Amino acid sequence: MSQKVTRRQFLNYSLMGVGSFMAAGIILPMGRFAVDPLFQGEAEGAMITTSIKVDEITEEPTKVDFSFEQQDGWYKSEVTDFAWVYKDGDKLIALSPVCKHLGCTVTWAGDDANPNRFFCPCHNGLYEKNGKNVPGTPPRGPLDQYEVGKSDGFITIGELKPNELVN
Amino acid sequence: MLYNHQDLNVLKDEIEFVDTAVIPFAYGDMNEDPKMHASDMEMMQMITVHLEKQFKGRLFITPAVVTVNGITAVVEDYSEQLRNYGFKKIIILSHNVPQVEGTHGIQLNHIPLEDMSADMKMSLIDDEVKDTMKQIIAVWNNKK
Ligand code: FES
Repeated sequence: MSQKVTRRQFLNYSLMGVGSFMAAGIILPMGRFAVDPLFQGEAEGAMITTSIKVDEITEEPTKVDFSFEQQDGWYKSEVTDFAWVYKDGDKLIALSPVCKHLGCTVTWAGDDANPNRFFCPCHNGLYEKNGKNVPGTPPRGPLDQYEVGKSDGFITIGELKPNELVN
Repeated sequence: MLYNHQDLNVLKDEIEFVDTAVIPFAYGDMNEDPKMHASDMEMMQMITVHLEKQFKGRLFITPAVVTVNGITAVVEDYSEQLRNYGFKKIIILSHNVPQVEGTHGIQLNHIPLEDMSADMKMSLIDDEVKDTMKQIIAVWNNKK
């Protein structure tokens, strides 16, 4: 379900871009109206296969891109998102890169002073490797998690869910 | 953040954090090289989508301002409005950066996208995005 939001936001972004922003008012409401039921069917449980091999994943979080096609009315586009994926023992963990403060993209070891944390460049937000937000920095909660799995040796990414590693 | 109702709701409470406005500024002339302008606009649209994704929590991307005959009056007024709204930094992102007082210009490169494969486009745009991000961070770091 939460993926739905991402897709729709993406649609907003694309439509609000240069040139097409005038059309947004017309297309968007119709698109929403027409497409909602479609999303619901599709949003359940589909795992997306990525091009990254499970063997390539280490204990160091790695960027794993995944793409899906988004159909909104007659407007079709390919959306690419990514997750930070790492191994904890032989368990795979995938975290969303979207900062829980105001939504910037966080990077692993993006701040030299914090080589083992996620860093958000917008307001210096910090997270531990398991996604736990570091107190005293702006984020209000831990990074979300993705379902993650393997298929034929490749990483698969599924639905977004609240962080289950942090209590 | 974008100019839509959800983001505008957040914006008014979080203006302290979303302190930077980006105005995409483009030429839409028909009489001199419209194909180049079209290509520029396409590129700018892709760049703004990426920027928004990276820096959503600190950037407000305004609707694109399109002009003809190099007229810059609208961007000047718009910058003024944005400043009065509470933005601390105003960035004009353009292939033709106008001189507007109190704003930072980010000059984009003209890249003829028309005969390019999708992959090639993506990689060029990617470089341009990285470059733009660096410049935005530089604006943030120099405390003017
Ligand atoms: S958006 Fe990440 S710290 Fe503010």
